[in-house]
Amino acid sequence: MLSCKGLNKSYEKELFSEFNLELEPGEIVAITGPSGSGKTTLLRCICGLENLDDGQIILDGKEITNLPAEERGIGLIFQKPVLYPHLSVGGNLRLGSKSGDIQKSLKEVGLANFEERKIETLSGGEGQRVALARALLANPTVLLLDEPFSSLDDDLSKKLVQDVKTLLKNRNCPAILVTHNKTIAAKFADSIISL
Amino acid sequence: MLEMNLKFPHWFSIVAYMLLILVPLWLALDRLIWVAGYDISSWLDSLGRNYISQGVIEFTILQAFFSTIATLVIGLPIAWQLGRYEWPLQSLIKSILTMPFVMPSIVAAIGFLNIIGREGLDIRSDEGTWFATLIIAHAWFNLSLVIRFCEPVLSTLDPMLEDQIRLLPAGRTSWGRIKNLWAPILLPSVAAAACMTFVFSFTSFALVRWITLGENTLESMMASIGSSAGIDGYMISRNEIILGASLIQFAVLLVSLWLMSWLQQKRQNLLPQASENVAKTANPTGWFVIIPAMVFALLPLVTILISSFRIRETTANGTSYSWGLDGWEYAFTATKSLPSAWDALLNSIGYASLTLIIALPLGWLLAQTIMLIETERPILARILDIATMLPFAVSSVMIGLGVMLGMIRIDAEFFYSFWPTPVIAHVMITTPFVVRIMLPALRSIDPSYEECARTLGVTKWNRFFQIKLPLLRGSILVATIFTLAMSMGEFGASWVVTRNSDWTTLPIMIDSLRSIPYNNSLTAPAASAVSSVLMLIAVTLFTWAEKFRPSRGGGMF
Repeated sequence: MLSCKGLNKSYEKELFSEFNLELEPGEIVAITGPSGSGKTTLLRCICGLENLDDGQIILDGKEITNLPAEERGIGLIFQKPVLYPHLSVGGNLRLGSKSGDIQKSLKEVGLANFEERKIETLSGGEGQRVALARALLANPTVLLLDEPFSSLDDDLSKKLVQDVKTLLKNRNCPAILVTHNKTIAAKFADSIISL
Repeated sequence: MLEMNLKFPHWFSIVAYMLLILVPLWLALDRLIWVAGYDISSWLDSLGRNYISQGVIEFTILQAFFSTIATLVIGLPIAWQLGRYEWPLQSLIKSILTMPFVMPSIVAAIGFLNIIGREGLDIRSDEGTWFATLIIAHAWFNLSLVIRFCEPVLSTLDPMLEDQIRLLPAGRTSWGRIKNLWAPILLPSVAAAACMTFVFSFTSFALVRWITLGENTLESMMASIGSSAGIDGYMISRNEIILGASLIQFAVLLVSLWLMSWLQQKRQNLLPQASENVAKTANPTGWFVIIPAMVFALLPLVTILISSFRIRETTANGTSYSWGLDGWEYAFTATKSLPSAWDALLNSIGYASLTLIIALPLGWLLAQTIMLIETERPILARILDIATMLPFAVSSVMIGLGVMLGMIRIDAEFFYSFWPTPVIAHVMITTPFVVRIMLPALRSIDPSYEECARTLGVTKWNRFFQIKLPLLRGSILVATIFTLAMSMGEFGASWVVTRNSDWTTLPIMIDSLRSIPYNNSLTAPAASAVSSVLMLIAVTLFTWAEKFRPSRGGGMF
């Protein structure tokens, strides 16, 4: 499925070196580590927003190391939901797929009838759910999650962790979660890697 | 070598900017030096040697200084009332009070001329009054700068700061509160407004030309002697005067702009202390400030409209006035010496449209280029940023002279008969404004918008049309309206460039109509009629722009 071989990246200091990962369909892996350990950069390199110094990324048998982000088919949920303020919830979802069933996607994340809502009317949790629905509507081969629960309060975070996990498992969608919170990592993922 | 995110359009914008904006200035300088020589001290000496330029520097500085003081004295109480108290129809009051600044300078000149000229109070010929009138006219023109800079700070300052200082020994008296709270908070805004007012008064042309009786500022002097410059062996001293005057003007404007940019930074640092939702109270006595202020702001504009219908009739028994549309008819009918206002309007629309077609993409691309390189190459970005602001340090007459002398240097005959020639000057004047509007707008777009769209598989063109363009829509519209309005109202550069050609714009036509000898009773109402057209265009465009202007952080404009 997704294979990362010998990934290296450094800026002023080394962020990660010889990082290896094998991800199978439906498998969820959590990567933990303190702030500044390179977790976010690792995800950005995997999805193509940043270039690696060295290493190889293979997805479904095809090398994608040098492919631009928009051609990799890897989804990313940012720490704070990135929603376009000039578009409605439905408009944001249509960026993920023009032909996808938006109603169904919104229902899946517990936001039925939100299609016409304006972005500024959403709470933090609702925004993160919209971002998730949009990422899943794009039908990613792998979904990357960059601390998406960290900006939410405890109760909401617990609920969303469970909901997203169920959703990913139902879709058999493999995912990598980056977090500094070991409790969330343990609840969300099948296995944990420390960076 | 630069590791460039820059693509062909970015390089093209830099080269186009150099060709369109810096080359004419360089050619003009080259031409003037070719005639006058390299001796800088001789340029500066010539200002004191020649009767044309004697006393001009002193007058320029003196009138700019008094204009700045008068603007602050009139503007600060108005800004205080608007900022600290609740007013019915607040946005209408604010629009009226900020309207003078969006008026083309020639319209302002005609407004004041109607008040002090022969058709009005008839005090213009009195040497004791025109200096004061000029100062008041500059204060009228720049009033909105004080309001725009100071009112937001006053209206959104957290009331707890004021409550707190009242309870401290340092704030128990009014003077203590002024000294320890209001002065430090307002000073950068007041100083920034003063700085800009000084710059605008220093380079004022239309108001000086029409309110004084032949008195010159550096700007108006350069405009009047510019036509005899750049000719080999002919009136060498005039070339020296222009070079000396340009040098002084450039230095003063450069220092003012640097000061302005520093003050803006300080002002921005104070703004975040403000709160958006401050409950304000009514102040009935404040109407004694607001009503006269509105009358002051509207009076010259109203007189323009009234004067356009007021026809002077001189008979053996004296002068009487009647009302009619004769002035409008005269303006909109071509005569042997002047085209019709329709032609001038079409020319103005044509020049403004062409200016927009060039200045908007050019300014946008330059802003994009600065933004793209500012992380990787901050020094280079800063140099480009300063280069795009250079025309701010060159007044419109200097730009006009640059284009005119550049034309003479390349092919005078071709450029004088080439209809789009004035567009070069308009592009030089408007492009820096486009850059200043687009740069903060581009910087304000969260980079994660682009990144997120890429991870969703959105293609480059779709990212541009579906995400970037809608997010920049407001700023693009503001830049568009600003460019159109500035080009249509531009006077100084057009006056210099089109003087030897057949093309007339609305501002040039107003000037030409007022220049016709007084015995023609229709020229003054016709000038007011054309001014009314220009005034309505300016009001419509800027009211429209106001809807899209970002409330904060939207740059200088």
